[in-house]
Amino acid sequence: MHIAEGFLPPAHAIAWGVASAPFVVHGVRSLTREVRENPESTLLLGASGAFTFVLSALKIPSVTGSCSHPTGTGLGAILFRPPIMAVLGTITLLFQALLLAHGGLTTLGANVFSMAIVGPWAGYAVYKVLRRYDVPLMVAVFFGAFVADLSTYCVTSVQLALAFPDPGSGFLGALGKFGSIFAVTQIPLAVSEGLLTVLVMRLLVQSSKGDLTRLGVFLSGRQNRTRTAETEAVAR
Amino acid sequence: MLPIDAAAHSSRWRRRHPVDKAVLGLGLTVLAISLPPWPGAALILLTAVAVLLGPAGVPARQLWRAYRVPLGFCITGAVTLLVQVGGPDGFVALADGGPVRAGELLLRTSAASLGVLLFAFTTPMSDLLPRLVKAGVPAPVVDVALVTYRMSFLLLDSVRRIREAQAARLGHTTRAAAWRSLAGLGATAFVRAFDRAARLQAGLAGRGYDGTLRVLVPDARVSVRFVSVSVTLLAVLTVLTFALERPLS
Repeated sequence: MHIAEGFLPPAHAIAWGVASAPFVVHGVRSLTREVRENPESTLLLGASGAFTFVLSALKIPSVTGSCSHPTGTGLGAILFRPPIMAVLGTITLLFQALLLAHGGLTTLGANVFSMAIVGPWAGYAVYKVLRRYDVPLMVAVFFGAFVADLSTYCVTSVQLALAFPDPGSGFLGALGKFGSIFAVTQIPLAVSEGLLTVLVMRLLVQSSKGDLTRLGVFLSGRQNRTRTAETEAVAR
Repeated sequence: MLPIDAAAHSSRWRRRHPVDKAVLGLGLTVLAISLPPWPGAALILLTAVAVLLGPAGVPARQLWRAYRVPLGFCITGAVTLLVQVGGPDGFVALADGGPVRAGELLLRTSAASLGVLLFAFTTPMSDLLPRLVKAGVPAPVVDVALVTYRMSFLLLDSVRRIREAQAARLGHTTRAAAWRSLAGLGATAFVRAFDRAARLQAGLAGRGYDGTLRVLVPDARVSVRFVSVSVTLLAVLTVLTFALERPLS
């Protein structure tokens, strides 16, 4: 789903970079604040970035019989929150461009927008809404990861359709063309990534309960509301 | 270590300042997407290959192994431009001028990828990341990127070993077993990453960690001569593109 180096015209590459910038800057501010308050967070965030990088290098079997790699954006957003994921995702995409020749520097803005911003925010929003209504953790995790993957592919299709409108039917025709090509592999992959994320989370619940509690993953809707109310009361 | 980074560490241009290589490599990439694809991107492609295999001394086999990845994406992407949806010729038909547009896109992406590969094959990440602070990137972000970079190799190595152990225990023989193994792999990567972070924290705390990771950066100066030659080369390519554009069209 990475847009390759040089694939987008200069104006599009710049525009997507500008669109991504506020989210990345917001993430950088959150990260900087976190590191200044808790210096040891540097190591945990670095470990989280390495985990995201390694996760994107895992090969998952697709329903179509082929193999692909997960985006990791859903799991990352649930574990570390979308603003942090905007920064970790940007670092991961930079490493992928320079160390794996996957994606690119001129298309970094577009790839960050789809994979480090829209994917994590969409997946996290679905996860939070489901948890708010006390939907079981694993169901919420599945839909969070599924939506994160699917929204990433939808945004990539839009980016490509805007850059290369169809000569006959314009933007909509190109969107259908790119969307249908991606749909063959990405819809099964989104299901696969959702299932994989659930399996990973189940094992993490068994083995790393302490870490997950510290990251706030275990809070249900009711607990979350209680914590928010407590925070507001303290603030007053 | 990943192959491109390993090659960068033993590159002939390893001791050059990253700015020198960025001007040349990333300059070629910017020109590739900015100039007319024919003949601009074609000239840049030839120049990048010549510089990579010549002065930069990148082994041809390593270059091909790295280059075939983006090339595959470029070809797949360019194929979509060959067809159009809707219009008088039916729901799906061959697009007018599709082969030309696909060829131009292929040239542009190939040339741009080679420019970035020139930079990546000659500049280790460990030389680049600490210098980003001078470019205005906040120090905490650079520190996180440095930890991510160094921990990625350890985690990738762990993942490789775990996968081998799973395969030895017939963990990939059936589809269900493969899914179980993969989930175990992901979860173990998370546990190991956090465990390493905790151990690193304990080790650094014993050495008076104050929140700043100080690393030694190899001393290098920006070479005015190298940058001047690079800028001249980029200017010549630009002039040549516009001079040849009409005769070759």
